[in-house]
Amino acid sequence: MVELLLDKKSRPGKGKVWPRPGGATNVREYRVYRYDPDTEANPRIDTYFVDLDDCGPMVLDGLLWIKNNIDPTLTLRRSCREGICGSCAMNIDGANTLACTRGMDGDGPISIYPLPHMPVVKDLVPDLTTFYAQHKSIEPWLQTKTEAPGTEWIQSRDDRARLDGLYECILCACCSTSCPSYWWNGEKYLGPATLLQAYRWLIDSRDQNTSERLDNIEDPFKLYRCHTIMNCAQVCPKGLNPAKAIAEIKKMMVERKVA
Amino acid sequence: MSHHRGTGIFIQQRVTALTNIVVIGFLVWLVATLYQADRATIAATFSNPIVAILTLALLGSVLFHMRIGMGEIIEDYVHEPRLNSLALALNTVFVLMLGVVGAFSVLVLAFGG
Repeated sequence: MVELLLDKKSRPGKGKVWPRPGGATNVREYRVYRYDPDTEANPRIDTYFVDLDDCGPMVLDGLLWIKNNIDPTLTLRRSCREGICGSCAMNIDGANTLACTRGMDGDGPISIYPLPHMPVVKDLVPDLTTFYAQHKSIEPWLQTKTEAPGTEWIQSRDDRARLDGLYECILCACCSTSCPSYWWNGEKYLGPATLLQAYRWLIDSRDQNTSERLDNIEDPFKLYRCHTIMNCAQVCPKGLNPAKAIAEIKKMMVERKVA
Repeated sequence: MSHHRGTGIFIQQRVTALTNIVVIGFLVWLVATLYQADRATIAATFSNPIVAILTLALLGSVLFHMRIGMGEIIEDYVHEPRLNSLALALNTVFVLMLGVVGAFSVLVLAFGG
């Protein structure tokens, strides 16, 4: 059976409440998941107070302020800080998103966990090895059979426009790790991010391996574990709709079957 | 489940979902028509071959759809191979039993039982 509860060693307990910054009058409470693989201790939720008068407006700004001013051991991924690299994907107030594009809206405590249902390397850093291997499995590059043209592979404006809403994916894994089907069958189900990428190559007018690509993902688990739950579309920080892409793949499968 | 089997099941699930709309509409009409009717009236209604055939179609479509749905749930949540196979087999047996009992009941009524 699937494990509906975390095992006892993975359940987070109460952590340390760090002191408020001295002299700060405008603070925001952060409750952050902490896990250190070098100790035997369970994960814990540490509480920090961020001085908003000394910090940028985004959740990532607050995390970096904590790291720079309170606790340098806090571990997280980040790079571009503008929603392009996808590194700082995490679960903020119950929803997967990018910490760099999520503002510190409201005034209550901000709860921050790593992306759900993934092995945790440390603190807010999930292990995305399987996620990247799944992406690689759909061979996300242009594949052709005819001889390469002397210049470039030509694509019309209309054909290029069909890739809009697909090519923008930054592989942050927010969608896949918000999907219950991916939680229960993440080893076998490719997940929304990989399937959106698969569709991006399936409908690329320049790609000539459509049939082989469909063969590769026609499987009760790789593709058909999608039950149109739509969490993927709900959380995508780029506003994409992986569920629609998956539905389009299913449509291609049916058309191929009944043709 | 074996490789390349998913699309067939997906089509079956969608087709039975569509046929269910029709046959469940018929079921609603049938229940409304026979509300508070006595057994003789019910038997007389089922002796109409259209009613009997539509009721058998209802059983077939709904039970087939039910088997696919429960099979999907088992595939989602039951991962231990032997338990998975057992659950899938019991799912099929349960659906067959309901189908046999249901079809027998309809035929008994249809032939004036």
